[in-house]
Amino acid sequence: MWIEKFQIKKTNRVAALYPTTKLWIVFFYSVCSLLLSTVNIMGIPLLIIPWFLVLPILATLSGVISQFLKAMKKAAIIAIFIFLVQTFIIPGGDLLFHFGILYIYSDGLHTGVSLSVSILNIAGAFVWLFQTTEMKELSRALEDKGMNYKASYILLSTMQMIDLMGRNSKIIMNAQRARGVETQGNLFVRAKAFFPSMVPLILSAIISSDDRALALSSKGFEIKCKKTHILNVEYSGNETLAMVICIIITSIVAIGRVLLWILP
Amino acid sequence: MDTAIEFKDVTYCYPLTKTPAVKNLSFKIEKGKFYGVIGANGSGKTTLCALMRGFAPDFYKGELSGQVLVNGKSTIDYENGELALRIGYVFQNPFNQISGVKDSVFEEIAYGLENLGVEPLEIEERVVTIMEKTDILHLAEKNPFELSGGQQQRVALAAILVLGPDIFVIDEPTSQLDPEGTESIFEIIKAMKKEQKTIILVEHKVDLLAESADEILVMANGELIKKGSTQEVLSDIFLMEQGIQLPQMAILSNKLKQLGIGLPVTPITEAQATEVLQKIIKKKEGIQ
Ligand SMILES: Nc1ncnc2c1ncn2[C@@H]1O[C@H](COP(=O)(O)OP(=O)(O)OP(=O)(O)O)[C@@H](O)[C@H]1O
Ligand SMILES: [Mg+2]
Repeated sequence: MWIEKFQIKKTNRVAALYPTTKLWIVFFYSVCSLLLSTVNIMGIPLLIIPWFLVLPILATLSGVISQFLKAMKKAAIIAIFIFLVQTFIIPGGDLLFHFGILYIYSDGLHTGVSLSVSILNIAGAFVWLFQTTEMKELSRALEDKGMNYKASYILLSTMQMIDLMGRNSKIIMNAQRARGVETQGNLFVRAKAFFPSMVPLILSAIISSDDRALALSSKGFEIKCKKTHILNVEYSGNETLAMVICIIITSIVAIGRVLLWILP
Repeated sequence: MDTAIEFKDVTYCYPLTKTPAVKNLSFKIEKGKFYGVIGANGSGKTTLCALMRGFAPDFYKGELSGQVLVNGKSTIDYENGELALRIGYVFQNPFNQISGVKDSVFEEIAYGLENLGVEPLEIEERVVTIMEKTDILHLAEKNPFELSGGQQQRVALAAILVLGPDIFVIDEPTSQLDPEGTESIFEIIKAMKKEQKTIILVEHKVDLLAESADEILVMANGELIKKGSTQEVLSDIFLMEQGIQLPQMAILSNKLKQLGIGLPVTPITEAQATEVLQKIIKKKEGIQ
């Protein structure tokens, strides 16, 4: 059976959840992050820091923790950068510390923490989603839930294009290095090498878009009928449980937030 | 014979251009026949194909005068996508035909059938059959973007064959293939012809066309300068003056003629040449 070969099999129960259920988990997780980021302790949204631990736990349960941590290292560098910039640049509120020429005001620290941790939270949630879900599963599931097949095509082909561009740009970068263009070194040097390398990529993408559209039409893309799929995305059976857990946790967070707000 | 496609005094200009890409085209394509289209670069072969499939003017816009009829109905009167079911179109550049949403060759070929709403079990059967025919079953699990140009061309052809239309318009399917790959594409096309398919093939390799096509259309500067049986067209030495490549055997026979050895018929294939030469030599031996 050939079709069997192209099905996606998962043994882990969390990872095997239906793609849109995982999308809901990301949604509820983000809602909780948002709610928690409005709770200030000593003027700082401290609660979102322990809340972030939920993600590594989720990744461990899904069996993807090592990839997860690896991916999050990159996000962490960006988050730290943003944290530092925000903290030291935004004036306003009380002066908390100062050493030498560096001043930290409470407003800056507040924005620094909430922005950087929120980035980690949202990025982390999506990293988890895409490490446990292939794009084609997600788009297949969304199509099943009523998303237009054209939207699904755009979603999938964009992701594949990005993937392909990544691979091609490596080839082009290597070619440029062979011609003596500096492609390694600091950020500035890399950027200088990167942008010219993208030009042929983007040009060829634009020029061939006519052909691509026509080739798609030749494969019956525009024919109005119920489309079929050889890829099946199945429910694992734990979706309701997962949703109940999400809703309970989100309710607790929401109720807690409202209580804090109305209690004196 | 029934007519599959008919051009009635067709002239077409791409948008923003004044010189027509093709002009004064009037001819018929008959059902079940295999047509070869030859002509220099820029002579309008691809435009001719685009007109048959209705891409021009529907997609490219531009100005069309005259009519292109497919199964008796003008291409501009067909609904969106309807022509895809009747005419299978294989483009010149295989890379641009990859759907970009599938990560294996098998799924890539199955994609058109998914679009047509064919049931998965039937899809599997049809895809496997076509992959065997086009000899790409061993590539089934590869990423289509990671194939060589020649492999991509076979995949592009298979992805259209699998849809099973009655008419095929195929634009230079062998440009990136080695001689062996080219032969095998011709084998596939010949097999399609046996299934009563109508085939319009743009191809520079006249030696192969000489062996398999029923008729040849010759394009030059946007005009159809000759159309007729393969034998008649490919032995027409005057076409060489127009820069049209003729089969090796026809060239040979022309050279012989210049040397004073006229052949009774101009051979266009090896088999024919062998036969003709054998006859002449035997005759001479007989005289001596
Ligand atoms: N999309 C387009 N827009 C404007 N002009 C075009 C377009 N495509 C082709 N042409 C012009 O139309 C003429 C015929 O081109 P066409 O592509 O049909 O030639 P061809 O015989 O297929 O050539 P080749 O052997 O290179 O594939 C050329 O002069 C070309 O410049
Ligand atoms: Mg062409």
